[in-house]
Amino acid sequence: MTLLAPRPLPRVTPSSRPVLTAVVVVIGVFALLPLAALLLDAAFQPAMAGGLGLGFDGGEQIRGTLVLVLGEGVCGAVLGTAIGWLTAACRFPGRRWLRIAQLLPLAFPAYLLAASLIDWGSSHGLRIHGMGWAVLLLSLANYTYVFLLSTESFSITGGQLLEASRSLGVGPWQAFRRVALPIALPAIGAGVALSAMEVVNELGAVRLLGVPSLSAGILDRWQVEGDPRGAALLSLIALAIVVLLVAAERSLRQRSRRWNLGHANAVAQAYVLSGWRALLAQLVAALPPLLALAIPLVWVAEGWRNLLLEPLAEQLTLAGRSLALALLATLLTAVAALLLSIIRRWSPQLVVRQLSFLAGMGYAVPGSVMALGLMLIGGPWALSPLLLLIWGYGVRFMAVSKQGLDAGLERIPPSIDESATSLGCSWTQVLRRVHLPLLRGPVLVGALMVFVDVVKELPLTLSLRPFDFDTLAVRVFQYASDERVGAAMAPALVIMALGVVASLALIPTLESRD
Amino acid sequence: MGLALLTGCSNARKQEVNVYSGRHYNTDKELYKQFTAQTGIKVNLLEGKDDELIVRLKSEGSGSPADVLVLVDAARIQRARQEELFQPIRSEALNRDVPANLRDPAGNWFALTRRARPIMVNPALVDPASLGTYADLARPELKGKLCLRNRASVYNQSLVADILQQKGAATTRTWLQGLVANVKAPFFTSDTPMLRALGRGECGVTVANQYYLARMLSDEAKPEDRALAQKIKVVFPRPTHVNITAAGVTRHARHKEAATKLIEFLVSPSSGKGYAAANNEYPLKGFGDNPILNSFGRFEPSPVSADQLARGNREASALMVETGWK
Repeated sequence: MTLLAPRPLPRVTPSSRPVLTAVVVVIGVFALLPLAALLLDAAFQPAMAGGLGLGFDGGEQIRGTLVLVLGEGVCGAVLGTAIGWLTAACRFPGRRWLRIAQLLPLAFPAYLLAASLIDWGSSHGLRIHGMGWAVLLLSLANYTYVFLLSTESFSITGGQLLEASRSLGVGPWQAFRRVALPIALPAIGAGVALSAMEVVNELGAVRLLGVPSLSAGILDRWQVEGDPRGAALLSLIALAIVVLLVAAERSLRQRSRRWNLGHANAVAQAYVLSGWRALLAQLVAALPPLLALAIPLVWVAEGWRNLLLEPLAEQLTLAGRSLALALLATLLTAVAALLLSIIRRWSPQLVVRQLSFLAGMGYAVPGSVMALGLMLIGGPWALSPLLLLIWGYGVRFMAVSKQGLDAGLERIPPSIDESATSLGCSWTQVLRRVHLPLLRGPVLVGALMVFVDVVKELPLTLSLRPFDFDTLAVRVFQYASDERVGAAMAPALVIMALGVVASLALIPTLESRD
Repeated sequence: MGLALLTGCSNARKQEVNVYSGRHYNTDKELYKQFTAQTGIKVNLLEGKDDELIVRLKSEGSGSPADVLVLVDAARIQRARQEELFQPIRSEALNRDVPANLRDPAGNWFALTRRARPIMVNPALVDPASLGTYADLARPELKGKLCLRNRASVYNQSLVADILQQKGAATTRTWLQGLVANVKAPFFTSDTPMLRALGRGECGVTVANQYYLARMLSDEAKPEDRALAQKIKVVFPRPTHVNITAAGVTRHARHKEAATKLIEFLVSPSSGKGYAAANNEYPLKGFGDNPILNSFGRFEPSPVSADQLARGNREASALMVETGWK
């Protein structure tokens, strides 16, 4: 079922094409408007004395971000793919639990991991500081993106494919390298792209660890030095780094396009591991979630006397706000991303392709920069801050939904679309009866990632929330930045609980495919 | 629920005051509740970081809902004044309760609390008696014993601006070169881990805000932290760098009267005490009755005004970059 073929042929009726294009244009405009507003504003600002230079430590900041992105990218890809394969295609004691446990690190904000690790270390004479720790912590916090997307792909890699390769005498390693990995590449690429965008945007953790980064440079340039033009320039560089990465990954993949149709009922004979192999698999799969869990929990175990609990009513209010915002944003991004991805498949005009690619890049724009763009739009129109906030979430996290969807769509051979249309299905019928059922996994995985991301989100929420509207993440950050880790821990644990509960929703999807 | 949130923006003409605040203490909220109980004016609160709040207020312009802006750094409050984010307030109560050197001469802002950034020493490594001023931190015998927080800290920027205004650029540059040469790298990103390192003897001397040490000595702290903090001796240089938390009424305030009343309430001796106590800070007049702070001793505050600190901030930051303060 692996085949090489040209791009899918569009089968959209001529009358519906303008409508579809219009939908993409509307979504694209909403996605690009904040950044456009910002660039326009920056262009009309008086240039600073330093002109458009990079400033005294611009070079250092670019280098810092590049090293972070590459370091985390490699570590995250290896870790996420290895665990994704082990827990999807192999069988060993504890596999099911370990697979669910991979979702834990996603629930911890990286700045909380950094703050509690630094705090714990300084109580034990261990100095947690610098690039090495930053790469380690960010890999730990972000490898789950690669894991989630790759394991979803590994588990639906048709049973027949692996059966066939096995009957041809291909061993497990070879089957992984030559069959499963190439098919999962789009998913792995999507995961790495997402984590790269996350890293480019990371502010709290890298700052605490004393690593120079573009995200910190952007904020300082804009807020401290009062130079929005310089900030816009730096954020364009950050954006360029990510766009280049994503484009490079896509063009590399374009050459080896493979389609694979997952059969939900195809029961692949899994590789059964025993003895030292099983032990090694357990160790590899257990270590990252254990580490992520251990950092805050060891802190809590030692510092429980310092845990400062807010009144229960306050905790519930905070959690309620986080939950409501996350659900709204999840719904919004899921619908918008689905429309973009599907229309791009059905109507591959240049403008549609470009807009849908660009609209999915919002994740790479630093949250604080996007917040400024939204404020520039919201101010003159007197838009409610909450409306702007939801808009911001939508733009920022559309990529999270869309990356997985694009990867999922890539796996579906165009011949399927063609058979369906030749059987008389309209494109809406194909969407409802063919694509949506096949995309259930990526849609759910994407929704989970958006949900957890919004619960953790900081810069947009900080900048756009209205009066008396703190969320859990805002509290965690404010307390942690006042160096009161004890007070930050309680809302952080609630974030973690929300993340775990959301992850549980994913288990049936992951497991039913086995 | 989501829709209710979206449309839940009230701007009815009820008695209320909207506060943007750079402080994040639950005890502040108790004080605001007391204010509401006394005056019937409801306090709506938005807490954030100083720089972020300034940018938000600026970009909101005349449409901003904020009536009061509270910031926790003198340079930031003065920058907000330069950006014309405040309006001048005439109030006898404010002029009576806030000493003249702790408010804007034109009445744009008023200090609410004071905090000091003294020298802190581990006497096992460095003799506290050998340190009289900040200049002594540059002495060569402290090489490898000085720990400092990085230059992103506004507290350090204001400290350097203070020295800059007193001694001029040339002396400050030499002093900074001496400091950086003495630093046990890498620079810290927060004060508490730095104080732990000092207590453990990994550093001999540092500068830190008094409230971080006070917090480590308070009941709020772990016993291990208390034990480390008890090894640390506070040395108040003559004069000591003092920074402020301050508030002003915003230029486009829609509830100017209520805003003025709130600031008057916060600086009044009774509630002002509560505002300072929330973070182990000093009140506007005298040294207060916090037993931990009293155990540190008293200090002679630097004569440099908040206005001067603000004006020196940019040059101070540039000098820190130039001399290698990370």
